[in-house]
Amino acid sequence: MAVLGDIALVTQVAVFQNKKAFDQLVRKYQSPVRRFFLNQTMGDEMLSDDLAQETFIKAYMNITKFRGMSSFSTWLMRIAYNVFYDEMRKRKDETISFENSSLQQDYSSSSFHLPPSSLKMDLYAALALLKPSERTCITLQLIDGYPVDQISKITGIPENTVKSHLKRGKDKMANYLRENGYDR
Amino acid sequence: MTDNDNLLIEKFFKQAAQQQIEDNGFTERVMAQIAQTKPSTRRKSILWTWFCVATALALFILLGGWESLKATMMVWMTTALTSLEVFVTTAPTTELPVNPAVVFLLVAFVLVYLPYQTARKLSAIQ
Repeated sequence: MAVLGDIALVTQVAVFQNKKAFDQLVRKYQSPVRRFFLNQTMGDEMLSDDLAQETFIKAYMNITKFRGMSSFSTWLMRIAYNVFYDEMRKRKDETISFENSSLQQDYSSSSFHLPPSSLKMDLYAALALLKPSERTCITLQLIDGYPVDQISKITGIPENTVKSHLKRGKDKMANYLRENGYDR
Repeated sequence: MTDNDNLLIEKFFKQAAQQQIEDNGFTERVMAQIAQTKPSTRRKSILWTWFCVATALALFILLGGWESLKATMMVWMTTALTSLEVFVTTAPTTELPVNPAVVFLLVAFVLVYLPYQTARKLSAIQ
Protein backbone atom coordinates (compact mmCIF):
# COMPACT_ATOMS: atom_id res chain seq x y z
CA MET A 1 0.00 0.00 0.00
CA ALA A 2 2.92 2.34 0.86
CA VAL A 3 4.51 1.55 -2.50
CA LEU A 4 1.18 2.16 -4.28
CA GLY A 5 0.88 5.44 -2.36
CA ASP A 6 4.36 6.50 -3.46
CA ILE A 7 3.65 5.66 -7.08
CA ALA A 8 0.38 7.60 -6.98
CA LEU A 9 2.21 10.61 -5.53
CA VAL A 10 5.03 10.33 -8.10
CA THR A 11 2.43 10.18 -10.89
CA GLN A 12 0.77 13.32 -9.55
CA VAL A 13 4.14 15.11 -9.57
CA ALA A 14 5.24 13.83 -12.98
CA VAL A 15 1.97 14.35 -14.84
CA PHE A 16 0.34 17.33 -13.12
CA GLN A 17 3.40 18.96 -11.52
CA ASN A 18 1.46 18.64 -8.25
CA LYS A 19 3.70 20.34 -5.68
CA LYS A 20 1.53 19.17 -2.77
CA ALA A 21 2.24 15.56 -3.75
CA PHE A 22 5.98 16.23 -3.83
CA ASP A 23 5.70 18.01 -0.48
CA GLN A 24 4.26 14.78 0.93
CA LEU A 25 7.12 12.73 -0.53
CA VAL A 26 9.72 15.08 0.98
CA ARG A 27 8.02 14.94 4.38
CA LYS A 28 7.92 11.14 4.25
CA TYR A 29 11.53 10.59 3.19
CA GLN A 30 13.39 13.56 4.72
CA SER A 31 14.31 11.59 7.83
CA PRO A 32 15.94 8.54 6.14
CA VAL A 33 17.70 10.70 3.54
CA ARG A 34 19.10 13.16 6.10
CA ARG A 35 20.07 10.27 8.38
CA PHE A 36 21.90 8.61 5.47
CA PHE A 37 23.97 11.76 4.87
CA LEU A 38 24.52 12.26 8.58
CA ASN A 39 26.02 8.78 8.80
CA GLN A 40 28.17 9.21 5.69
CA THR A 41 29.53 12.59 6.85
CA MET A 42 29.82 11.34 10.44
CA GLY A 43 27.54 13.95 11.92
CA ASP A 44 28.06 17.05 9.78
CA GLU A 45 24.52 18.42 10.10
CA MET A 46 24.83 21.44 7.83
CA LEU A 47 26.46 19.50 5.02
CA SER A 48 23.93 16.66 5.45
CA ASP A 49 21.02 19.08 5.09
CA ASP A 50 22.58 20.71 2.02
CA LEU A 51 23.13 17.33 0.37
CA ALA A 52 19.63 16.13 1.32
CA GLN A 53 18.16 19.30 -0.19
CA GLU A 54 20.15 18.73 -3.39
CA THR A 55 18.91 15.12 -3.47
CA PHE A 56 15.24 16.14 -3.32
CA ILE A 57 15.69 18.87 -5.93
CA LYS A 58 17.38 16.37 -8.28
CA ALA A 59 14.58 13.88 -7.61
CA TYR A 60 12.00 16.54 -8.53
CA MET A 61 13.82 17.56 -11.69
CA ASN A 62 14.18 13.93 -12.83
CA ILE A 63 10.91 12.50 -11.52
CA THR A 64 9.76 11.59 -15.05
CA LYS A 65 12.75 9.22 -15.25
CA PHE A 66 11.37 7.13 -12.35
CA ARG A 67 10.05 3.98 -14.05
CA GLY A 68 8.84 2.13 -10.97
CA MET A 69 11.27 -0.75 -11.57
CA SER A 70 12.38 -0.39 -7.94
CA SER A 71 10.65 1.28 -5.00
CA PHE A 72 10.68 5.08 -4.81
CA SER A 73 12.82 4.95 -1.65
CA THR A 74 15.51 2.87 -3.44
CA TRP A 75 15.46 5.29 -6.39
CA LEU A 76 15.73 8.26 -4.02
CA MET A 77 18.59 6.65 -2.08
CA ARG A 78 20.41 6.03 -5.35
CA ILE A 79 20.21 9.77 -6.07
CA ALA A 80 21.38 10.48 -2.51
CA TYR A 81 24.33 8.10 -2.98
CA ASN A 82 25.31 9.83 -6.26
CA VAL A 83 25.00 13.27 -4.67
CA PHE A 84 27.23 12.14 -1.80
CA TYR A 85 29.89 10.65 -4.07
CA ASP A 86 29.89 13.76 -6.30
CA GLU A 87 30.54 15.79 -3.14
CA MET A 88 33.31 13.36 -2.11
CA ARG A 89 34.98 13.72 -5.50
CA LYS A 90 34.74 17.51 -5.22
CA ARG A 91 36.30 17.37 -1.76
CA LYS A 92 39.03 15.04 -2.97
CA ASP A 93 39.96 17.66 -5.55
CA GLU A 94 40.03 20.26 -2.80
CA THR A 95 41.92 17.77 -0.52
CA ILE A 96 39.40 18.10 2.33
CA SER A 97 38.02 14.87 3.73
CA PHE A 98 34.97 14.25 5.90
CA GLU A 99 37.18 12.48 8.41
CA ASN A 100 39.19 15.66 9.00
CA SER A 101 36.37 18.17 8.92
CA SER A 102 33.43 16.57 10.68
CA LEU A 103 34.83 14.71 13.65
CA GLN A 104 35.82 17.98 15.29
CA GLN A 105 32.16 19.03 15.56
CA ASP A 106 30.33 19.97 18.71
CA TYR A 107 27.89 17.06 18.93
CA SER A 108 26.14 18.46 21.99
CA SER A 109 24.59 21.37 20.05
CA SER A 110 22.53 19.05 17.87
CA SER A 111 18.93 20.01 17.05
CA PHE A 112 18.27 16.53 15.66
CA HIS A 113 16.55 13.67 17.43
CA LEU A 114 19.57 11.42 17.71
CA PRO A 115 20.71 8.76 20.15
CA PRO A 116 22.28 9.94 23.42
CA SER A 117 25.39 12.04 22.86
CA SER A 118 28.00 9.47 23.99
CA LEU A 119 26.53 6.73 21.81
CA LYS A 120 26.28 9.18 18.91
CA MET A 121 29.96 10.06 19.26
CA ASP A 122 30.85 6.36 19.49
CA LEU A 123 28.74 5.65 16.40
CA TYR A 124 30.46 8.31 14.32
CA ALA A 125 33.88 7.37 15.72
CA ALA A 126 33.21 3.74 14.78
CA LEU A 127 31.98 4.73 11.30
CA ALA A 128 35.12 6.83 10.83
CA LEU A 129 37.18 3.62 11.01
CA LEU A 130 35.54 2.34 7.84
CA LYS A 131 36.36 3.10 4.23
CA PRO A 132 33.61 5.18 2.54
CA SER A 133 32.21 2.24 0.54
CA GLU A 134 32.22 0.00 3.64
CA ARG A 135 30.50 2.76 5.63
CA THR A 136 27.81 3.15 2.97
CA CYS A 137 27.11 -0.60 2.86
CA ILE A 138 27.14 -0.97 6.65
CA THR A 139 24.82 1.97 7.32
CA LEU A 140 22.44 1.01 4.50
CA GLN A 141 22.10 -2.48 5.95
CA LEU A 142 22.28 -1.97 9.71
CA ILE A 143 20.64 1.45 10.04
CA ASP A 144 18.39 1.80 7.00
CA GLY A 145 17.55 -1.91 6.82
CA TYR A 146 18.18 -2.53 3.11
CA PRO A 147 18.98 -6.11 1.98
CA VAL A 148 22.14 -6.84 -0.06
CA ASP A 149 20.37 -6.74 -3.46
CA GLN A 150 18.85 -3.31 -2.73
CA ILE A 151 22.23 -2.00 -1.50
CA SER A 152 23.69 -3.21 -4.78
CA LYS A 153 20.97 -1.32 -6.71
CA ILE A 154 21.50 1.87 -4.70
CA THR A 155 25.28 1.91 -4.95
CA GLY A 156 25.74 0.21 -8.31
CA ILE A 157 28.27 -2.12 -6.64
CA PRO A 158 27.97 -5.86 -7.52
CA GLU A 159 26.29 -7.97 -4.81
CA ASN A 160 29.41 -10.01 -4.02
CA THR A 161 31.44 -6.84 -3.53
CA VAL A 162 28.71 -5.49 -1.23
CA LYS A 163 28.96 -8.71 0.80
CA SER A 164 32.75 -8.29 1.04
CA HIS A 165 32.36 -4.67 2.18
CA LEU A 166 29.82 -5.76 4.79
CA LYS A 167 32.07 -8.56 6.07
CA ARG A 168 35.16 -6.31 6.37
CA GLY A 169 33.11 -3.48 7.88
CA LYS A 170 31.50 -5.74 10.46
CA ASP A 171 34.89 -7.17 11.47
CA LYS A 172 36.20 -3.67 12.06
CA MET A 173 33.05 -2.72 13.98
CA ALA A 174 33.26 -5.82 16.19
CA ASN A 175 36.91 -5.04 17.05
CA TYR A 176 36.05 -1.45 17.86
CA LEU A 177 33.12 -2.45 20.09
CA ARG A 178 35.20 -5.03 21.96
CA GLU A 179 38.05 -2.56 22.48
CA ASN A 180 35.58 -0.02 23.88
CA GLY A 181 33.98 -2.44 26.32
CA TYR A 182 30.65 -2.93 24.56
CA ASP A 183 30.91 -6.71 25.09
CA ARG A 184 30.75 -6.40 28.88
CA MET B 1 33.02 -13.20 12.89
CA THR B 2 31.11 -14.97 15.68
CA ASP B 3 27.41 -14.90 16.54
CA ASN B 4 28.40 -12.83 19.57
CA ASP B 5 30.02 -10.23 17.32
CA ASN B 6 26.88 -10.10 15.19
CA LEU B 7 24.69 -9.58 18.26
CA LEU B 8 27.06 -6.88 19.50
CA ILE B 9 26.92 -5.01 16.19
CA GLU B 10 23.15 -5.34 15.86
CA LYS B 11 22.65 -4.02 19.40
CA PHE B 12 25.01 -1.12 18.74
CA PHE B 13 23.22 -0.06 15.56
CA LYS B 14 19.69 -0.72 16.84
CA GLN B 15 19.32 2.66 18.50
CA ALA B 16 20.79 4.49 15.50
CA ALA B 17 18.30 2.67 13.27
CA GLN B 18 15.40 3.96 15.36
CA GLN B 19 16.43 7.60 15.21
CA GLN B 20 13.89 9.88 13.52
CA ILE B 21 14.97 13.30 12.36
CA GLU B 22 12.32 15.98 12.86
CA ASP B 23 11.43 18.03 9.81
CA ASN B 24 12.05 21.44 11.45
CA GLY B 25 11.23 23.38 8.27
CA PHE B 26 13.37 21.19 5.99
CA THR B 27 10.45 20.40 3.64
CA GLU B 28 9.54 24.11 3.37
CA ARG B 29 13.14 24.92 2.42
CA VAL B 30 13.17 22.23 -0.27
CA MET B 31 9.82 23.37 -1.67
CA ALA B 32 11.00 26.99 -1.71
CA GLN B 33 14.09 25.92 -3.70
CA ILE B 34 11.88 23.99 -6.10
CA ALA B 35 9.64 27.02 -6.60
CA GLN B 36 12.74 28.98 -7.62
CA THR B 37 14.06 26.37 -10.05
CA LYS B 38 10.74 25.45 -11.61
CA PRO B 39 9.98 28.32 -14.08
CA SER B 40 13.02 27.85 -16.33
CA THR B 41 12.59 24.07 -16.60
CA ARG B 42 8.84 24.44 -17.16
CA ARG B 43 9.43 27.05 -19.86
CA LYS B 44 11.97 24.75 -21.52
CA SER B 45 9.51 21.85 -21.34
CA ILE B 46 6.68 23.94 -22.90
CA LEU B 47 8.98 25.23 -25.66
CA TRP B 48 10.18 21.69 -26.40
CA THR B 49 6.58 20.40 -26.58
CA TRP B 50 5.57 23.18 -29.04
CA PHE B 51 8.69 22.58 -31.12
CA CYS B 52 7.87 18.86 -31.39
CA VAL B 53 4.21 19.55 -32.28
CA ALA B 54 5.20 22.11 -34.96
CA THR B 55 7.82 19.77 -36.45
CA ALA B 56 5.36 16.87 -36.52
CA LEU B 57 2.72 19.03 -38.26
CA ALA B 58 5.22 20.34 -40.81
CA LEU B 59 6.43 16.82 -41.63
CA PHE B 60 2.84 15.58 -41.85
CA ILE B 61 1.94 18.27 -44.40
CA LEU B 62 5.22 18.14 -46.39
CA LEU B 63 5.27 14.35 -46.71
CA GLY B 64 1.63 14.12 -47.86
CA GLY B 65 0.41 12.71 -44.55
CA TRP B 66 -3.23 13.63 -45.20
CA GLU B 67 -3.38 11.54 -48.42
CA SER B 68 -1.77 8.55 -46.67
CA LEU B 69 -4.16 8.89 -43.75
CA LYS B 70 -7.17 9.05 -46.09
CA ALA B 71 -5.99 5.93 -47.97
CA THR B 72 -5.39 4.02 -44.72
CA MET B 73 -8.84 5.00 -43.40
CA MET B 74 -10.44 3.80 -46.63
CA VAL B 75 -8.67 0.43 -46.36
CA TRP B 76 -9.76 0.06 -42.70
CA MET B 77 -13.37 0.98 -43.51
CA THR B 78 -13.52 -1.45 -46.46
CA THR B 79 -12.05 -4.24 -44.30
CA ALA B 80 -14.52 -3.51 -41.46
CA LEU B 81 -17.51 -3.46 -43.83
CA THR B 82 -16.39 -6.70 -45.53
CA SER B 83 -15.94 -8.39 -42.12
CA LEU B 84 -19.40 -7.22 -41.02
CA GLU B 85 -20.94 -8.48 -44.24
CA VAL B 86 -19.24 -11.88 -43.82
CA PHE B 87 -20.37 -12.07 -40.19
CA VAL B 88 -23.99 -11.17 -41.01
CA THR B 89 -24.23 -13.74 -43.81
CA THR B 90 -22.49 -16.55 -41.91
CA ALA B 91 -23.64 -15.91 -38.27
CA PRO B 92 -25.50 -18.78 -36.56
CA THR B 93 -29.25 -18.26 -36.39
CA THR B 94 -29.61 -19.62 -32.83
CA GLU B 95 -29.21 -17.14 -29.95
CA LEU B 96 -26.10 -17.25 -27.74
CA PRO B 97 -26.92 -18.40 -24.18
CA VAL B 98 -26.54 -15.48 -21.75
CA ASN B 99 -26.46 -15.99 -18.00
CA PRO B 100 -28.36 -13.06 -16.36
CA ALA B 101 -26.35 -13.41 -13.12
CA VAL B 102 -23.06 -13.01 -14.98
CA VAL B 103 -24.41 -9.97 -16.83
CA PHE B 104 -25.60 -8.45 -13.53
CA LEU B 105 -22.20 -9.01 -11.88
CA LEU B 106 -20.36 -7.54 -14.86
CA VAL B 107 -22.58 -4.43 -14.92
CA ALA B 108 -22.22 -4.02 -11.13
CA PHE B 109 -18.43 -4.31 -11.40
CA VAL B 110 -18.20 -1.67 -14.11
CA LEU B 111 -20.81 0.76 -12.75
CA VAL B 112 -20.27 0.42 -8.99
CA TYR B 113 -16.98 -1.23 -7.99
CA LEU B 114 -14.63 0.50 -10.46
CA PRO B 115 -15.92 4.06 -9.80
CA TYR B 116 -15.80 3.35 -6.03
CA GLN B 117 -12.16 2.17 -6.18
CA THR B 118 -11.14 5.11 -8.39
CA ALA B 119 -12.81 7.62 -6.04
CA ARG B 120 -11.16 5.97 -3.01
CA LYS B 121 -7.67 6.12 -4.57
CA LEU B 122 -8.12 9.73 -5.69
CA SER B 123 -9.29 10.79 -2.23
CA ALA B 124 -6.25 9.05 -0.70
CA ILE B 125 -3.93 11.15 -2.91
CA GLN B 126 -5.56 14.50 -2.05
